[in-house]
Amino acid sequence: MKLSLNWIKDYVELPGDLTMSQLAFDLTMSTVEVEGVHDLKKQFDGIVTGVIEEVLPHPNADKLRVCKVDIGAEEIKEIVCGGSNLEAGMKVVVACPGAMVRWHGEGEPVEIKNTKLRGVASFGMICAAVEVGLADLFPTDDDHAIMDISYLDVKPGTNLADALGLDDMILEIDNKSMTNRPDLWGHYGIARELAALYDLPLKPIEKYVPETDTAYDVRILDEERCPRYIGAKIENLSVKASPFYMQSRLWRVGLRPINALVDITNYVMLAVGQPTHVFDSTHIIDHIEVRRAKDAEKLQLLNDKDIELCNDDLVIADKEGAVALAGVMGGAKDSVLPDTESVILEVANFNSHGVRRTALRYDNRTEASARYEKAIDPERCDQAVSLSMELFRELYPEMKVTAYSDCYPNKLVKKEIDVEFEWLDKRLGMRIPQDVVSKKLGSMGYEVTFTETGMHIVVPTWRSTGDVSIKADIMEEVARMYGYENFQPTSITTTFDGAINQLDVDLVRKIKEYLAFRCNMQEIFTYPWMTDTFVNALLPDTDNVFCLSTPPSPSEKYVRSTLLPNICKAIVKNERNFSEFAIFEEAKIFRSSEFNCIYDEKEALPYERRHLGCAFAGSPDNVTELFRTAKGVIGMMPRYTHMEEFTFKKVEKPYWADETVWLNIYLGEKKIGDLGLLSHKAKTDCGIKVVSAVLVEIDTEELVPFKSRTNRFVHIPEFPMNEYDLSFLVDSMTKWEEIYGAVMAKKSDDSLIRDVRFVDEYKGKQIPQGKKSVTIRLVIGSSDKTLTGEEIEAAAKSALKKLTKTLGAEIRS
Amino acid sequence: MKEKLDALLLEGTAEINAAASENELQVVKGKYLGKEGLVTVLMKEIPKLDVSLRPEMGKSVNQVKNALGELIDARREEIKNKAFAISPDFDCTVPGINPQIGGLHPITQMCYDLNDAFRSMGFEVFSGPEITSEYFAFDNLNFPPNHPARESMDTYWLQGHDSGEANEKLCLRPHLTGDSVRYMQTHKPPYRFVYPGRVYRNETTDARHERAFFQYEALIVDKDFTYTAGKVMIKSILSKVFGQDVPVRMRAGFFPFVEPGFEIDMGCLVCGGKGCSVCKHVGWIEIMPGGTPHPNVLRAAGVDPDEYTGFYVNIGLDRLVMMRYGVDDVRMFHSTDLRFLTQFK
Repeated sequence: MKLSLNWIKDYVELPGDLTMSQLAFDLTMSTVEVEGVHDLKKQFDGIVTGVIEEVLPHPNADKLRVCKVDIGAEEIKEIVCGGSNLEAGMKVVVACPGAMVRWHGEGEPVEIKNTKLRGVASFGMICAAVEVGLADLFPTDDDHAIMDISYLDVKPGTNLADALGLDDMILEIDNKSMTNRPDLWGHYGIARELAALYDLPLKPIEKYVPETDTAYDVRILDEERCPRYIGAKIENLSVKASPFYMQSRLWRVGLRPINALVDITNYVMLAVGQPTHVFDSTHIIDHIEVRRAKDAEKLQLLNDKDIELCNDDLVIADKEGAVALAGVMGGAKDSVLPDTESVILEVANFNSHGVRRTALRYDNRTEASARYEKAIDPERCDQAVSLSMELFRELYPEMKVTAYSDCYPNKLVKKEIDVEFEWLDKRLGMRIPQDVVSKKLGSMGYEVTFTETGMHIVVPTWRSTGDVSIKADIMEEVARMYGYENFQPTSITTTFDGAINQLDVDLVRKIKEYLAFRCNMQEIFTYPWMTDTFVNALLPDTDNVFCLSTPPSPSEKYVRSTLLPNICKAIVKNERNFSEFAIFEEAKIFRSSEFNCIYDEKEALPYERRHLGCAFAGSPDNVTELFRTAKGVIGMMPRYTHMEEFTFKKVEKPYWADETVWLNIYLGEKKIGDLGLLSHKAKTDCGIKVVSAVLVEIDTEELVPFKSRTNRFVHIPEFPMNEYDLSFLVDSMTKWEEIYGAVMAKKSDDSLIRDVRFVDEYKGKQIPQGKKSVTIRLVIGSSDKTLTGEEIEAAAKSALKKLTKTLGAEIRS
Repeated sequence: MKEKLDALLLEGTAEINAAASENELQVVKGKYLGKEGLVTVLMKEIPKLDVSLRPEMGKSVNQVKNALGELIDARREEIKNKAFAISPDFDCTVPGINPQIGGLHPITQMCYDLNDAFRSMGFEVFSGPEITSEYFAFDNLNFPPNHPARESMDTYWLQGHDSGEANEKLCLRPHLTGDSVRYMQTHKPPYRFVYPGRVYRNETTDARHERAFFQYEALIVDKDFTYTAGKVMIKSILSKVFGQDVPVRMRAGFFPFVEPGFEIDMGCLVCGGKGCSVCKHVGWIEIMPGGTPHPNVLRAAGVDPDEYTGFYVNIGLDRLVMMRYGVDDVRMFHSTDLRFLTQFK
């Protein structure tokens, strides 16, 4: 919202030495956020009034003229101009070199320079209204007309801002910072805050006393939605332009002047924050009634939008039908028309929620609805009527109020609050003198009565619509007016009752750091919804998968029940730039089943678990390596992150996995995750073009962190251990597990084979069909002595013998 | 004889130094110290000398013998080292082999930095469910029944659970604040905890707005806690995270679940408060709302607001991370684009 400083000064006389930056700072700290202060005069720097002495033809151009212009300088200036309405004696606006103007009102402002136009030197520029940003105040139908200010009684060379009375400061307030303050949506409300801040008097607005006894027929049929409605019939009016000061003020705060009748309503709204409306009284048949709309009742709004109403909408109607959407917008047919001579002035209060629903329903939010939505107090109608009548009288001295009614069935009750001093002092951390408290509260409209131990406070009506209702609110009022920056920081005290020990929280962090820093994986974040393509590729069905009521897009309605669809989407995205990568995500998954009351017996929440998802993507030629990397990363995770070990089993193939390359991850007897190669079909369905991927998903809530590190110290062997590599051929279906088992089986305690490790396996050229070559590494050693070469050979031979016997291994020649 | 010795030492030293290989050195060694070597021969002549001269000459010959022996050993080491020396065309400007290291998401990094800071002040880390009822998302938090945030334009409701009583309506949590009530209901005051996490809003996205983002809330509830102590808390945290003293100011702000409420600004670290484009020339950057928990929120959590009060802040992690690294589009965080994510080591 924009505010004019001059307008504010109508209601409060600010100290002469108060700078704008101080005012903006004080308002920001205590009340609302001032986003910017705009010096209106600045945009007219170098733009002055001039008088055209003579208009001469341009020697080289038909459409241009050379004007001799008096701009109050020692010499008469020559300015080349293409204006269609140039005449000697005309007062015009001249932008001198250095001034900023907008060419034809478009684009960024550009600086005026002394130039030659078609061979004739020109001093500056004679401006059209649009070029100095005043098109709204000086409208014209002729695009080529320059701004005519002949009516002004000013000397040539006067700065335009001074000539037009535009020397003003405009404050830009962040609307979000005052959603809770319906009282601030007009200049008077901000003036009241400033008065309180600086301990200044606020000019009161006298109450209007109706000059007629004739009642206007107003019928409120829904008193909850319309607590108050003032209707007044005003005659002897006409449609004309409003005075320049009024137009200018509206323009300064961002509204376009229309005509005097409409301008008065807008002016009142911007002054006191209360929307008002005028109807052409000849169009209102018989009476005004405020009622719910009938279903399918039709109304054409002022902006020519045709809408079909419903019963939740509140309308203003006459005997025949709806004439306005209450609190939102007037109807096109019955509001001010070009020949309007008498009006019904509406100053009314409408329920905030209803106005909001209606405005949203028809996507038709207006300045009026925005204010009603904040919950305006019905008492403010008094100020609005009073100011409206004053303005009508000023603009139309011959006007007459011929009928008047104030229907106020639903009186607002002022909130009353008791505050104990002891409580206030404690919460504030200091004692603010009673006279300061009472003065600050008083100037904001609170009625304060002191008791022995505290105060009894009556909240003003304009703060009683929900804004202020409890003693914490009063504390805030006192603190912010005293000045938040005037409180001394206080230290935080605490009692120590043990260190923070959160094993689960630490485990998740350890896992992430393990994957990132030890395993070369990058953490990603994805959305909690899944894209249909990936859901179809990876899930057998969508039973128990939640859907969003209003999804981000129609193909993103499913809420994730597994992390893998989004991880595959990330693979598609990244395979364009990388041929090899590993990613992980740790996030929640959901199912629309298994509801439980975990936190509150009234609240049943669905299955929700923290999962870890990983993808190892790389060349399809390297599936073995991808698989082994994934298995190694997951297999070593318990050791590095200090939790209970899990095991790999092959029990149930994940839906998305390759027929052969998959494992289930078990913690004890419980399956907690899967690891597998994304099947060719799923990969194709996902749209993954190049890479192959091994995926992992684990329910991390099943993991059991150790309370402390559990590794045990093992003595370093006293005698050397020897490594001995063996290569042999076995059937290609033989599993490593079988090889390991064969070597380590039936091992006596004094066996010299300490361990056997997988080194390599090879299929292909030089290896007979149906066979593979396997290289293993035996660790051979004794706890009693250093072994001789013969002893080591003998131990290796015995291992090979076992392999030959159980698996038919042949030594590779 | 003495002269002869001196000459031998000189010649021997020269020949040792001239030897270019171990073989050459071996020959030199033989020539001087071998069985028939020049020094050995001299040694054998000592018994033939006058008795009075023998001790001194014996000593001198031994000295020469030892000296040459040491020189030969030293020279041998030298030759050996030289033989294994790396060729001088070795290029020290070739790039190092970098460790292969992945990375945490930049928001996770910031979250962990804050966790460390808060935990050093005795805060616990808590996380609640991401699917919540309207009851916990709004009612408990003093959101009036018709608050605009409740309407579907702001919250992702779940199909089949988008109507009915507040405790039956389910949504993806629009903010974290509801979790504070969950924590307080299950723990005893005083409280000191943080509850970071993802939240979701049904909004149109652009460079500054996202549908999914990361918040970080902290709540302290204690007896006689004044808002000025809250300021100390914020200042300590920010100073720890940013590694320098950060000016903090609190100004009037409104949020339904706090009373009084504040907008909390930190001094712009880019310009040091002088004003720059980052802080829109005001020297301050709005980083979080905060305030004293509204009595109704404490009541919902089963805490007596007359006895207890406290301080709450809500830090928008996305914004803070954007500020830390100069990221100009919030949507990058959920882009999964490794070209972006791998920059944050």
